[in-house]
Amino acid sequence: MDSQTCSVKKLHDQIEQTLNNGSLSHPRCRQRATEIFDLVHDVSQGLAGDDHFDSILELAQNLVDEGLTPACRELGEHVAAFVDQHQEEFISHIRTHTCPTGRCPMLTPAPCQMACPAGIDIPSYVTLVGQGKYAEAISVIRRDNPFPWVCGLVCTHPCEFMCVRGRMDKSIAIMDLKGFAAEKAMSAQSYQNPEPGPDNGRKICIIGGGPGGLTAAYYLALRGYRVTVIEALPVAGGMMMVGIPRYRLPREVIDREVAMIESLGVEIRLNTRLGKDVTIESLRSEGFEGFLLAIGAHGSYKLMIPGEDDYEGVIPAVSFLRRVSLGDHRRPGKKVAVVGGGNVAIDAARTCLRLGCERVTILYRRTHDQMPAHHEEVVEAEEEGVSFSYLTIPKQVQGADGRATGIVCVRAELSEPDGSGRRRPVPVEGSEHVIEADVIIPAIGQEIRPQGLEAFEEVDWTRRNTIRVHTVTMQTNQQGVFAVGDAVTGPATVVEAIAGGKKAASAIHRHFEGIAQPALPRVPVRRRRLPHFDLPASLKTDLDRPKMHQLSNDRRRITFQQVHLGFNEQQAHEESKRCLRCDICIRCGRCVEICRDKMGIEALCLGYLDFDTPGPTDLRITAERCIACGACATNCPTGAMQMTDRDGYRELSLCGTVLNRLQLEYCEVCGAVLGPARYHDYIVKRVRDVSPTSNGRRICLECARRQSGGQHAEITPPPR
Amino acid sequence: MTFRQGQKVEIFQRSTDESWEDYMEAFIGLHGIITDPDVSKNDPDALIEVSLDEKGTHRLPQDCLRIIEQ
Repeated sequence: MDSQTCSVKKLHDQIEQTLNNGSLSHPRCRQRATEIFDLVHDVSQGLAGDDHFDSILELAQNLVDEGLTPACRELGEHVAAFVDQHQEEFISHIRTHTCPTGRCPMLTPAPCQMACPAGIDIPSYVTLVGQGKYAEAISVIRRDNPFPWVCGLVCTHPCEFMCVRGRMDKSIAIMDLKGFAAEKAMSAQSYQNPEPGPDNGRKICIIGGGPGGLTAAYYLALRGYRVTVIEALPVAGGMMMVGIPRYRLPREVIDREVAMIESLGVEIRLNTRLGKDVTIESLRSEGFEGFLLAIGAHGSYKLMIPGEDDYEGVIPAVSFLRRVSLGDHRRPGKKVAVVGGGNVAIDAARTCLRLGCERVTILYRRTHDQMPAHHEEVVEAEEEGVSFSYLTIPKQVQGADGRATGIVCVRAELSEPDGSGRRRPVPVEGSEHVIEADVIIPAIGQEIRPQGLEAFEEVDWTRRNTIRVHTVTMQTNQQGVFAVGDAVTGPATVVEAIAGGKKAASAIHRHFEGIAQPALPRVPVRRRRLPHFDLPASLKTDLDRPKMHQLSNDRRRITFQQVHLGFNEQQAHEESKRCLRCDICIRCGRCVEICRDKMGIEALCLGYLDFDTPGPTDLRITAERCIACGACATNCPTGAMQMTDRDGYRELSLCGTVLNRLQLEYCEVCGAVLGPARYHDYIVKRVRDVSPTSNGRRICLECARRQSGGQHAEITPPPR
Repeated sequence: MTFRQGQKVEIFQRSTDESWEDYMEAFIGLHGIITDPDVSKNDPDALIEVSLDEKGTHRLPQDCLRIIEQ
């Protein structure tokens, strides 16, 4: 676990020590200190309310004012100063129920939630999906992300890379469960907006209706702001709509989620370009007080090779995908060469196939292993019939009669690693060849087109030609102007833009309310504390990540129908039950240490606990070795490990996974619970040298003592 | 160095890049996983997305990262 200091835990431990060391001799002083301790304990347990902070300060001040003893005054002064100094951390604990340092065990966030850029409470919604409560799951997700359906289909899911189950076998299909819940809730018309706050009269203008801009619009509207989104394109959704092909993200999904945002009163002005259709002056005269720049990165890098601008048929990938998304489904040509190895190149190639192009080849200057596109995208493109030409460097576009006819390329080989460890593609002399193509699609990167933003004179730009912001608040150098999305990060992911939009909405609100801005990244908020599912260790182990059904390959090649067909209900429920519930078990490893080092049993084989060097995990082995002593459960700081007696059995479970279940035995004399035979045998073995009284009988300690006492009474003292 | 999705990395030093912010100092020494490398062109200058163990997901310059496990 993280060894960083948590101020709440530190104060908790300091007061506890003061109470225990006897320095507070006056009874009233001890009582006050105990009350403060209880309040701080509440904060560290996630049980505190909004009044806790003020109450702690008040009690500390009482200690000072009463001045019953020097130690009392000293404690009061210390607590008041400490809490004041670490105010933000205390408030964060109270409001988010999260302690990012991991020092407050009950408040340690799950790794998946920490990894989600938007900070979604993943364990809670995964559990709700397993309970069949889809609308509730969506409501939990939308506290942090207003696009659960979109992200359920196209998120890059960093959460799954950090999923602890992935250290055991395969990570939970977190993204797919989100998509499943969203579809179910939308279909049942139970996908609802929360109630917005009262109108505060302030008008905010958002330039760009992509995921970042619309997310900010959603959270600002919920806070009572009047939000208008200016969108240059004829559709809302930004790159979600015109950058991601329909077979990955159907247009209806975006339309439905954007409509939910509009229904909060957000106005979206389509076909409206800043600097052309509206100006900053005209917007200010409409009463807009705050601005959020979310213009995305809709420009394309050029290949910078001869002939690129001379022939018809050379179409930048971003323009091509936009054109198709906006309804132009004409075949661009017969033979297509896509240049680039990223996700956009793959999207463009797969789109060409669906439009009826006869041959689509991706030209990439490095090797398959080095392709930056996501592996599954590459595999699906190969399945559909896209060809790949690796180690191929374009040199010139050829053409005739004003139209492209081919692309001259040279073969490349990778150099030895340079100082930075990179192997560069080096052209092979004399390897020039022509790849026939009437369409050439450069897909080698995107850039921001800042046209229209000149009016924001104080906004600073980075050397990457992105807007400079403080990434904790998304605030630019210009007062009252914020920026999010690809315009800030460069081409990035939908979920990062959403996270930025949420941060910006909060920062805009603080800006207008005169609240200080945070200096550190936001801590994710735990939205619910839900019970876990009970299931045997063997089932928990055997459940496998479900394979998602896909559209047939033939259909994929000719239509824009969604390729991934989603889980069915049973798959979704089973998948949610695979979750290890890391919001409850914080992976401190105390259970393993106690069992191995103190009890000498070694019944817990939980190699997944370690991030850096995960070892083997076998949940079933516990049943073979565990004596059900309960030492692990007693020492578990969060109650994740539990031991319970029920129906004549003693059960050991970890977050609901039943690791061991042993039949209970009862005292032959009084009928009291003895524990399982294995436990009894362990104890008898340990104490047989000092207390051989039971003589193999199953009796409790009390009866053994009584019997032993009786034996002593019968002893006749030896004669003198 | 080319980073790929799923690689384990360490933030072994502060970056000299302009995108490095003060709060990132606390990340030095942490381990994480590359979750979104530069997906367009393997640009060594691109900011790439890293999920840090217990510290969230951030887009960072590449000169502060080193691979600790493929």
